[in-house]
Amino acid sequence: MSVQAMGSASGKDSFLARLPGAIPGLALIVITLVIIKGYPGMDIFGFKGIEAWMKTAVLFGTKGWLVQVTHLNYILLGILAGMLYRNVIFSGTIPAVLSDGFKLARLMIKTGIIMLGSLYTVQAIVQLGSMAIFLIGGFVVMTIVMVLWLGKVMGLDRSMTGVLANALSICGVSAAVATSPAVEAKGAQVAYAIATILGFGILTMFISPFIGHALGLTDLQYGAWVGTGILNSGQVLAACLAFNPNVAPGTAVSVGEIWNIMRVISIPFAVFAVTVWYWAGQTSGTSAQKKSLGTLLVEKFPVFVLGFMAMVLLTSFGAFGDAGIKGGPPASATIKMLRDVMQWVFGFGLVGLGAYIDIKELARAGGTPLKIGLLVGVTKYVLALVVVFLIKDYLVAI
Amino acid sequence: MMKHIVVAVDGSEVSAAAIEQAVTVARQRHMTLAGVFVIDGNWPDYIGNDWQSSKGARQGFLDYMRAEQEAQAQAAQTQFEEAVGQSVPQSQFTVLAGDPTDILSKLASEPETELLVTSKRVFQVSGRPSLKGLAKTLVKRATQPVLFTP
Repeated sequence: MSVQAMGSASGKDSFLARLPGAIPGLALIVITLVIIKGYPGMDIFGFKGIEAWMKTAVLFGTKGWLVQVTHLNYILLGILAGMLYRNVIFSGTIPAVLSDGFKLARLMIKTGIIMLGSLYTVQAIVQLGSMAIFLIGGFVVMTIVMVLWLGKVMGLDRSMTGVLANALSICGVSAAVATSPAVEAKGAQVAYAIATILGFGILTMFISPFIGHALGLTDLQYGAWVGTGILNSGQVLAACLAFNPNVAPGTAVSVGEIWNIMRVISIPFAVFAVTVWYWAGQTSGTSAQKKSLGTLLVEKFPVFVLGFMAMVLLTSFGAFGDAGIKGGPPASATIKMLRDVMQWVFGFGLVGLGAYIDIKELARAGGTPLKIGLLVGVTKYVLALVVVFLIKDYLVAI
Repeated sequence: MMKHIVVAVDGSEVSAAAIEQAVTVARQRHMTLAGVFVIDGNWPDYIGNDWQSSKGARQGFLDYMRAEQEAQAQAAQTQFEEAVGQSVPQSQFTVLAGDPTDILSKLASEPETELLVTSKRVFQVSGRPSLKGLAKTLVKRATQPVLFTP
């Protein structure tokens, strides 16, 4: 079959060959974040950045109302700016000249997560990780069982049910696309599952900081909650940094990301489990891609987690000086610099993440997948908060 | 350049009605009939697979989607050829790749397009949720006449 390509670039060039083409988009992201966040000593005709302005602006008779009440910070403003670029200024499509730069978002976020490894020692990871395994493991199993049951009750197609089960239980888009070939899902089914989970995730990303502050959650409680209740890695990161933009041991991001990594690691296991469920229920011959757990582990294990673990090991061996863990000596100059860099890297990445959000796609999600998605998503989100409250005395800060 | 009638075909029941209308118009006006299927090129963006993704990351899924869409293209071609048969002397079927909304908008604005015939629900069988809004976008962007079937 001959197919004529129209419009999009081939995408076959190597990473390095395409890097120069990313400069215009990257420049716009950097300028955007500088305008929002400002930098130390910035003073352009009295303008020190939107975030600084919000802290002093008087609204409804209160100085800093925008920050105190809405809890907007440079992270959420950056995401909003990205959304504004894509959906309003560029009418739904990022122009080709800027596109490659905006698409660096995921690489930046993953680079930042690898750098986050410098916040932990092996001992801290074991401490946090054991708590995370308990919560994440329980919620992954509960969510899968709930979706499979609801899918049956509501008469949803088995392929769609399988995709939704993993998308809602582990890691959103990654899980949906990893599961689809194994359960013979159609394109439209995957598309609707993705729209449902991303739409729910975006909503929770914006309301979680507000709820967290209103309930007076600590960073540890908040990180454990959103790390369990929000599905997408980028959204967990954004929700944590929106709650507390500081990147240091014990802050929301340092907790939430451990929870997130535990969830991401479970992708191959969950894909395998749902695939087994799908085969078991098929009465006729199936053309689904059957893969062993070993193959799935090799193919689907997130590589950036290895980078993160390498960073933890380097930090534990003192490669960057003192890590500034609770009860130990203060952080070294190198570690402090790494944390400053991380704030900017995450900020750039999240502006790009905002530009990935296509309101047209999310607004048109619907039907039974949306109903199940909302029902399960809200249950998980609320239940995670309740469980975190119930076990708050057992959560140990690092 | 010779003008022609363009019909969007996806192999589903909804596009059968569009082909029927297009055949009727093409016969009445003695024009060439062009059937078009669009393989959705926006999937990599939609799932976040781009130029800096590692080769194996989500490519397996994209290959899987590509195979599904090629099967749909084949079904669309069969549907078109069977429906048109000998009733229109000159006809052709083309498979394009890209954003379905953009491509149909472009076709609906080309001077050689006498009329674009399409179902309001075309390509939804394979598609992303935003394709539900394809008809509305066509109404806004098209400069040539467009005939919508249910």
